[in-house]
Amino acid sequence: MNLRIARMTFSLSCEWRFPSFVAAFVLFANQGFAEEAVDYKRQIKPILQSRCYACHGALKQEGGLRLDTGDSLRKGGDSGEAVTITAPADSLLIERVTAADASERMPPEGEPLDEEQIRLLQSWIAAGAPSPTDEVRESDPRDHWSFRPLNRPDVPELEQANARDRNPVDAFIEGRLSQEGLTAGPAASKHLQLRRVYLDLIGLPPTSAELKRFVADESAGAYEQVVDRLLNDPRYGERWGRHWMDVWRYSDWYGRRNVPDVWNSAPQVWRWRDWIIHSLNEDKSYAQMIREMLAGDEISSDDPQTAVATGYLIRNWYALNPNDWMRNTVEHTGKAFLGLTFNCAHCHDHKYDPITQEDYFRLRAFFEPMYVRQDRIPGEADPGPFQDYDYSTLRKIQHLGSVRVFDKTPDATTWFYTDGDERNRDQERGSIPPGVPAVFTPASLTINPIELPTIAWYPGFHPQIQATVRADAQAQLESADTQLAAATKSYDAIVAEQKTDPIAEHHLVVARAAEAAARAELASVEARIAADNAQYSPSSETNAEEFAQRAAQLEHEAAQRRLEADTHAAEHSLLVAENKPEDDADRTQAIEAAKKVVQEAKERHTKATAEDSTPHEYTKLSPVYPQKSTGRRRALAEWITHRDNPLTARVAVNHIWMRHFHAPIVATVDDFGRNGAAPSHPELLDWLALELIENNWSMKRLHRLIVTSNAYRRSSSQIRSSNSDRPQHLDPDNTLLWRMNAGRMEAEVIRDSLFFCGGLLDMKLGGRSLDNEQALTTYRRSLYYEVFPEDGGASVLSSLFDAPNPLECYRRTKSIVPQQALALTNSEMVHVVSEKIAELHNSTEDNQQFIKDVFFQLLSRSPSTEELQLCERALSQQVELYTEAGVAAPQTAARQSVIRSILNHNDFVTIR
Amino acid sequence: MSIRSQTNDCSSCQPRSRRVFLSDLGMGFTGLALGAMLSEDGIVRGAEASVLPPSGTPHHAPKSKSVIWIFLSGGYSHLETFDPKPALDKYAGKTFSETPFENPVDSPLHKKRFRSVPAEEINVRDVYPTIYPMQVGWKKCGEAGIEVTDWWPHLAQHVDDLCFVRNMWTTDNDHAAENQIHTGRHRLDPQEPSVGAWVDYGLGTLNENLPKFAVVGGPTRSDTRLSIDSMYLGPQHAGVPLTLDEKTPLPFGTRHEKQSFASQQAEYGLINQLNRLSAIEYPEDQELAARIRSYELAFRMQDSVPEAIDFQGETPAIQQLYGLDDDSTKVAGSRLLAARRLAERGVRFIQVFPSPYGVWDSHQQLKKNHTRLCKTVDKPVAGLIKDLKQRGLLDEVTVVFCTEFGRTPGLEKRSGGTTGRDHHPNGFTIWMAGAGVKKGHVHGATDELGYHALGDAHYVTDLHATVLHLLGLDNRQLNYPGRKRLEIDYGRVIDEILV
Repeated sequence: MNLRIARMTFSLSCEWRFPSFVAAFVLFANQGFAEEAVDYKRQIKPILQSRCYACHGALKQEGGLRLDTGDSLRKGGDSGEAVTITAPADSLLIERVTAADASERMPPEGEPLDEEQIRLLQSWIAAGAPSPTDEVRESDPRDHWSFRPLNRPDVPELEQANARDRNPVDAFIEGRLSQEGLTAGPAASKHLQLRRVYLDLIGLPPTSAELKRFVADESAGAYEQVVDRLLNDPRYGERWGRHWMDVWRYSDWYGRRNVPDVWNSAPQVWRWRDWIIHSLNEDKSYAQMIREMLAGDEISSDDPQTAVATGYLIRNWYALNPNDWMRNTVEHTGKAFLGLTFNCAHCHDHKYDPITQEDYFRLRAFFEPMYVRQDRIPGEADPGPFQDYDYSTLRKIQHLGSVRVFDKTPDATTWFYTDGDERNRDQERGSIPPGVPAVFTPASLTINPIELPTIAWYPGFHPQIQATVRADAQAQLESADTQLAAATKSYDAIVAEQKTDPIAEHHLVVARAAEAAARAELASVEARIAADNAQYSPSSETNAEEFAQRAAQLEHEAAQRRLEADTHAAEHSLLVAENKPEDDADRTQAIEAAKKVVQEAKERHTKATAEDSTPHEYTKLSPVYPQKSTGRRRALAEWITHRDNPLTARVAVNHIWMRHFHAPIVATVDDFGRNGAAPSHPELLDWLALELIENNWSMKRLHRLIVTSNAYRRSSSQIRSSNSDRPQHLDPDNTLLWRMNAGRMEAEVIRDSLFFCGGLLDMKLGGRSLDNEQALTTYRRSLYYEVFPEDGGASVLSSLFDAPNPLECYRRTKSIVPQQALALTNSEMVHVVSEKIAELHNSTEDNQQFIKDVFFQLLSRSPSTEELQLCERALSQQVELYTEAGVAAPQTAARQSVIRSILNHNDFVTIR
Repeated sequence: MSIRSQTNDCSSCQPRSRRVFLSDLGMGFTGLALGAMLSEDGIVRGAEASVLPPSGTPHHAPKSKSVIWIFLSGGYSHLETFDPKPALDKYAGKTFSETPFENPVDSPLHKKRFRSVPAEEINVRDVYPTIYPMQVGWKKCGEAGIEVTDWWPHLAQHVDDLCFVRNMWTTDNDHAAENQIHTGRHRLDPQEPSVGAWVDYGLGTLNENLPKFAVVGGPTRSDTRLSIDSMYLGPQHAGVPLTLDEKTPLPFGTRHEKQSFASQQAEYGLINQLNRLSAIEYPEDQELAARIRSYELAFRMQDSVPEAIDFQGETPAIQQLYGLDDDSTKVAGSRLLAARRLAERGVRFIQVFPSPYGVWDSHQQLKKNHTRLCKTVDKPVAGLIKDLKQRGLLDEVTVVFCTEFGRTPGLEKRSGGTTGRDHHPNGFTIWMAGAGVKKGHVHGATDELGYHALGDAHYVTDLHATVLHLLGLDNRQLNYPGRKRLEIDYGRVIDEILV
């Protein structure tokens, strides 16, 4: 029983991949080879490879033992020979794998070897432990393709004429095709090219007018001009922003939505989403984006706008347990930027990659000092300080202000713990310092603490916050002035009439007191600002201490005036209550309540007067944070984005490529390690990675390069016009890109395109996240609706079309289920859209022309003769049916039905 | 039926490709779903795939065709339901150390089976060592003489059909344990697909017009969505929540009001014709082929799903059996009756939540709370067992009745409490009934105080392994290419309770 429990706690966060040999082995083992001679390569090596190499191979040689060749196995290790040919059962190897004591038994993790495996090993040893002489050792992990430095590969020379003008992307792809004896397919029609590049770059189809213009434009650079225009369209940032939100795990707040209780992420995190969109639109370098997301607060410490980029880190925030925050941050920083599965080294050294368990905690240590804070936005109300977790208090949904990280605890301890359970601290190891795996260290990683400018650690010192606080006080005073004027006026009127009205008279007293309080408050604010300026402005020659004392004094006075005003106001309520008619049922109660308030106000006043005989320090305009940041995250960001980091650019290019071609170059987009997939086009990947780095990591440039290639502009049809259909047989999955891939639109593109075609889509950029309940009846772009990993975290439509999983979405899944068909035929949304589309074509009386126009608008092409006939026939059939059913306008209803059928055409939801 | 038959590929002589996967998938309600599975690159993690998705046919001869999985949210007290402990009355008011028994808190099991979600520094859950007496009486029921408390008068009549497992344990000390019993994972560990999703992934369909994995009355709350989720298996394997309203049981599942059967049929007809024309240009486009088929299915589902949850055909006697005539039992009763109808129609895994989120949680007022709640569920569940039995379905369907954890033998004194019990992951009770399961049987036990599950006690995934086994699936063989499941995820079949 204890064993089971031990197994449970071990390596829970691991998610490594089965290498092929496991299957091969299982296959053979199941068949049983009792009578046959044991085959080392087929039967022994797979066992050793899957169960022993991790500690006795190229990565590590525990006990001085390597088992990755028969030679080294026979040689043995520090404890002597591993095999005893003469007595196989007594071999150290057999002894260790069969040890009854779990602490002695190998392998130390997972199930023990089974009887069949042990029998095979023994038979093999008995046969003399033979192995091929030409056996090579497991390769050095440092030689793994993605860990090697980036070098610019030569662009293959192509035989065709004008090869020199060719896009290098094509040179690589066509070079590879011709190596395999394949030729590329034809280009897609101009119609499809335009539709494809529109959907790809801005997430919406072209309008009929745009399409007509493009088809008619026969000038040489017509397509390139479109590409440039689309890349400069703000909708590009929205389209690609959503892609990167997948990779960076964008999530609105969650935890207990129904309560509500904010446990994860933060309600203001959408500012990070807007930052992503904005950064993409201004073509901020990819490297700079990473730097700002990991350390915007350290890198641009004088710019509060940049700090919102650290929403990337806040997305992982978990109020109840900081370890969880750290774990997610480590795992996904590794996967998103580096394509490394650091999470596999949470409980033990990585099985495939040169990442030790200590490296896991070293990566964590970069983040250990950080915490979340909440800053006021100039011109808006003050959200107050960030709400810490407390068991008995709900964490409120705070929409005000912005959130960002800062280094709160520079000397925070990073504990090494075992079994993936933070309770198992290794106290003796002490705090683990930040660092990166040795194999990836380019030169050295230097961490320099950062002296922050005042506005970074004291946001209230920012001139705009000062202005906001001052403006608030001024507005209060203006309002008090207005009320005083009104009170005076009505009192004067009463006096003029020679009447008396004790309430109006007292009201004047109240208004005067309130005015005095507001005036004192403004003076106090001015004095506090002046004191801040005297203390923190470098050019200040004034005596800061005097200013501070004066600020404290005026703040104290303002408080007194406020208390006086409160007392008067309370007394006024009492007066009003007392003046109620005697028979008013509420009178007694109102008087009692007012008396209590008066009493309390007086007490507060008395107390404050007594306490504040000596002035305190004046109150700062905002919370004050540490004046230094550790510089750890900045150092990490610089290492990740260093030109010599072999992974970062490769991983980024792969993500971008996958979203253009619906298939990546490296299939395991979040694992470029030794257990990941090999690239289909390694030279192309490296060439593009260097192209990215050397052009200041410009993503727009990379997009342009890719979408202007012939490879991108090819038809996705499998039918070849040439007499050769070789590619279909040699490369049926199109790995070599002899044609374009088709891909289904993401949920967001489907919804946006539907509303766009109906002329309903609202193009407003940015802002607070919207409720999914409204997603089918309001028309903002889909990426502005909430996303979070709880029920309600996607709209009904979006969840049917594989909404992004905010926990992990390095690649979208694309399913086809019947409920999608129901959504696109039965939903009110689709009926509204088809109605709107029908209205757009109202003026076209001829049904044939109507069908042609609708095809053109919705599918970006004209119908074939057959399609036209089918639609015409369906249209007249529907008119009949609707007429029979007594529908009011059968012709209109029939047209809408045909529109819906075309919206449900596979080509509508498919990016061809 | 299979999409493969519509194309001319020769998958048998080619390397494993997307075509093979597609043809291997169960072609049911959600079997058409391609998801990551279709995209070859999504599957082949690493150099070459070695783990194949299941074929849809069982690994071994199944003993059960469907599972009705009833989950009560909040954590019912094992002590006041199906694991009564006389020692609690005997030593009421004494502390653990004042009893003759070993202090359960000193056992290493205590830490092993209790992992706090909040960081230790802020964890407020404590050990409550003062023994709180049982809040209800109990009897030995049925011929088997199984101890059941007096709050279950109806169910007590059926104990000879039930099989109790009294040594369950989990590790989450808070209500994310609701997800844990379905996924096998603690809140602080990476999440896994739920048990229903594995069933959906592993088994072919018995009725292609209905989902394989249906959910009634849930998920109970936004944050318990994980209990029906499919994670990396792809959204097509997630539980499909059905609303018990025959007008809109499924999102968009009802013909638009402006549409007649005939006009909608014509609309679908045109879609079909247009897409089939398109298939000429893209003859090997599997997604297109799947989409064509999905429209055919969608059209039929508009009628099959509402029919499945329409109670009009149920006699008044049957409706009364489930308590549909009484407001206190109506909600649970209709959910369980719907479950029976879905099981009859071949739905593989029906996850039923008879009670709302967290209601069984009884930190205070346990007696009042459980008295009321047991009444809402007792008659409907008893009715389900009786109904299944009289229809002969108890030989084909397996019922599971469970909750996320038990409750502390000690009195919860937090916030000055004097009337309740706290969460207790260290030991709790579930029961099963029906196909493949022993009748009138008790398996396992907790210690005298009801604190620790004893013997080779069962972590929640043992329940998964058992249910999957009954359905003909070997949990250990259920893997997703590129994903490594852990020992703890596979669990162990509870052989001792199988027929």
